[in-house]
Amino acid sequence: MSAPSPVIVPQFSTRTLTIQSGNTILLRLPNGEAKAVKTEKNSTVSLGRLGVFYANELIGEPFGRTYDIVDKKLKLLPPRTLAEVEDTDATNELINDGEFVQPLTLEEIQTLKQSGAHASEIIKMQIEQHANYSLKTEYSKEKYKKRKEAKYSKIFTTIDPTLFNVCEHWFRKDQTRIRDIRIDALSQILNMANIRPGGRYLAVDDASGLIVSGILERMGGDGRLLTICNTDSPPAYPVTVNMNFTNETVAVLSSLNWATAEPGHTPLVAPVDVPADQIKSDRQKTRLNKRKAALDLLNTTREELFAGEFDALIVASDYEPFSILEKLVPYLTGSASIVVQSPYAQILSDLHAKLRALPEYLGPSLTEVWLRRYQVLPGRTHPTMNTSGTGSFILHAIKVYTFFVWL
Amino acid sequence: MWSTARLIAAGDTVILWLTRELVQHLVVTPGKDFNSKFGHYRHSDLVGLPYGSKLGSRTGRGFIHILRPTPELWTMALPHRTQILYIADISLVVSYLDIRRGSRVIEAGTGSGSFSHSVARSIGPSGHLWSYEFHEARAKKAREEFAQHGMSDIVTLTHQNVCKDGFNLTDAADSVFLDLPAPWDAVEHAKQALRKDRPTRICCFSPCMEQVLRTVSALNDAGFSDITMYETLVRSHDVGQVPVLQSITEVADKLKKGEEVREIKRLRQIAGGQRSHQNPHGEKRKRDEDSEMNEQEDAPVGEAEDSGSGKRLKTDDDMGTWTPSRDVDVSRNLDDPSTHILRAGASIPAAPTAKISVSKATSEVRGHTSYLTFATLLPPMPPAPLEDDAPSQGPQST
Repeated sequence: MSAPSPVIVPQFSTRTLTIQSGNTILLRLPNGEAKAVKTEKNSTVSLGRLGVFYANELIGEPFGRTYDIVDKKLKLLPPRTLAEVEDTDATNELINDGEFVQPLTLEEIQTLKQSGAHASEIIKMQIEQHANYSLKTEYSKEKYKKRKEAKYSKIFTTIDPTLFNVCEHWFRKDQTRIRDIRIDALSQILNMANIRPGGRYLAVDDASGLIVSGILERMGGDGRLLTICNTDSPPAYPVTVNMNFTNETVAVLSSLNWATAEPGHTPLVAPVDVPADQIKSDRQKTRLNKRKAALDLLNTTREELFAGEFDALIVASDYEPFSILEKLVPYLTGSASIVVQSPYAQILSDLHAKLRALPEYLGPSLTEVWLRRYQVLPGRTHPTMNTSGTGSFILHAIKVYTFFVWL
Repeated sequence: MWSTARLIAAGDTVILWLTRELVQHLVVTPGKDFNSKFGHYRHSDLVGLPYGSKLGSRTGRGFIHILRPTPELWTMALPHRTQILYIADISLVVSYLDIRRGSRVIEAGTGSGSFSHSVARSIGPSGHLWSYEFHEARAKKAREEFAQHGMSDIVTLTHQNVCKDGFNLTDAADSVFLDLPAPWDAVEHAKQALRKDRPTRICCFSPCMEQVLRTVSALNDAGFSDITMYETLVRSHDVGQVPVLQSITEVADKLKKGEEVREIKRLRQIAGGQRSHQNPHGEKRKRDEDSEMNEQEDAPVGEAEDSGSGKRLKTDDDMGTWTPSRDVDVSRNLDDPSTHILRAGASIPAAPTAKISVSKATSEVRGHTSYLTFATLLPPMPPAPLEDDAPSQGPQST
């Protein structure tokens, strides 16, 4: 069979391939947690216990690599592989709780650390002095080393800012700020809303910009995204910072608020058409031009909303969802997807009951997401012991025209 | 891909939504008819209608909705050639593999094309999907389908066994998705096809744990890192409305009334007994009286639940008139025990005026689809300064 050789269009990317100056990147620390740091050229990055290093060392590097901090310098390490652990006959039969097993004192460890001993040396010494280490099973030894590494090693890994990784980071860090939207929920929302390059979407994102981040990434700088917010000025959407989007990616986004999104409302703005003879300074002129540009943008964005024909509406909001749908569903085209997320089943049950009675909402469905992660290690594969209990609820419906075509 | 125009045109693939359980697809071909128990339609009737229209049958009975296809609707309507992937797995894989506009993706096998459509939508015209299917007839069907759906520029379909012959690609793809019985045999080929200038990802979709374990060790041997595994499901909920739940105070009241009734009956029996003692011929009359009493006694207590649920069926208008009178009834009952027997049934329901929406997971659900094993392939280590630095100094190898 001959090799398939399609014509390939230059690849668009929503972010740069390597770490750039000014990025906000996530680092995976030895204890498994992620920390966001800014990689500003010629600045130092401080990782607390792990120490400091120069940001320049990361700039230009691909994502996903692992480094050890040695004397404020980064040493590139090969990616970690799964270590085969050979099973032995050892059991915990002779190991008792509360026994004194570690003669190495805290002070001695402190001294070792200050002398600049590498984490691996400290761990080695602890193992040598450990009274019962040889009694442990191989699995238990592995766990012991892992625990000590989390404590002493200065190794970190840069995390590729994919939607998956950024969502996981926010979910772990502060899941209430992203309305409990776990990555499986976010993924389903984006698919259910049929987000694609070139589409036109309406969104209400009170989830710190997680929804907006997902939509922007899937649009890839092609199409239109209008968000409606509850603030005077455009919302901050902090999650987008971690996505490290290019300007082109973000350019498709504009925002209105619940007042400016009302067709009957005339926004109160300071006059912009000041007669030329009343303009006293260049500063005033610049200010007027800026104000005029802002007003023009507001007006064109409003016109765009009111012209309608949007392909989907995605709602993850603290406000009463039916009032949002009543306001925005008229701007959707026929067959458009409506996706509403909530941390609470009750809120969506109520909404579901309302929509079921209305003919313009076809097939409303309420679903809950479910996700289970596994530890995969040779001989030790099982679901993780602790996991998130909820990833939130999703209501989906399709907008249809209520007029009935009789033949 | 599919039409993005507002109006349906001849040749468009459309989705017919008959019921939630019955979603079909159709290529609009004027001259053809569509007949089902939901009515009779001519394809030409659809032309010129906006997507999302509700169309009445020519017979005057029944109607259907005509929708624009999406990969999700297609998954509901597609002709099954194999076991297919559903939204929970598809969407998580797309996210994990970082599939977005312009991505270059490999999938094997093509199967029924459920995943292919979703990927094609997400990568758009600037991306590319190489799809491999070892079953010749299925490959042919899928190729026809992709052409029909305007995906020929995005998808290259190859009839090939990738475990044996690989992907014929080198350093080309951003991600690989393997839905194969023995994915471990394709791991080395996948590594060759993945590009090496950035982190790339692989997902192996296997229903059995034994497959996962073999895949994990093959991925590890091939130098993939961050090996992890997930299981994901969608839990559908049934939504219903129930009346605001009755308080047990009302049940207690009802029981108390029952007690009173019994007490009255007992006293009457005693009185009757005394009467019968005086009048030995009154025995028959007493039995009649007794059975009458039994009916009266049982009615309010025994039927309480039924009368309660009977109230639940009332319309909101009925409820509206009900609410105020309820309190009056209750207070009167308290004052005048003689009304209990007649009133008890009526005063029970604490009329459920309001309803609450409730939801619970559907009773029968999909419990397992497959395990999703993910791994990452990182760009190779730069050769220069690390050569002399023995990597064994890293603490992970101690």
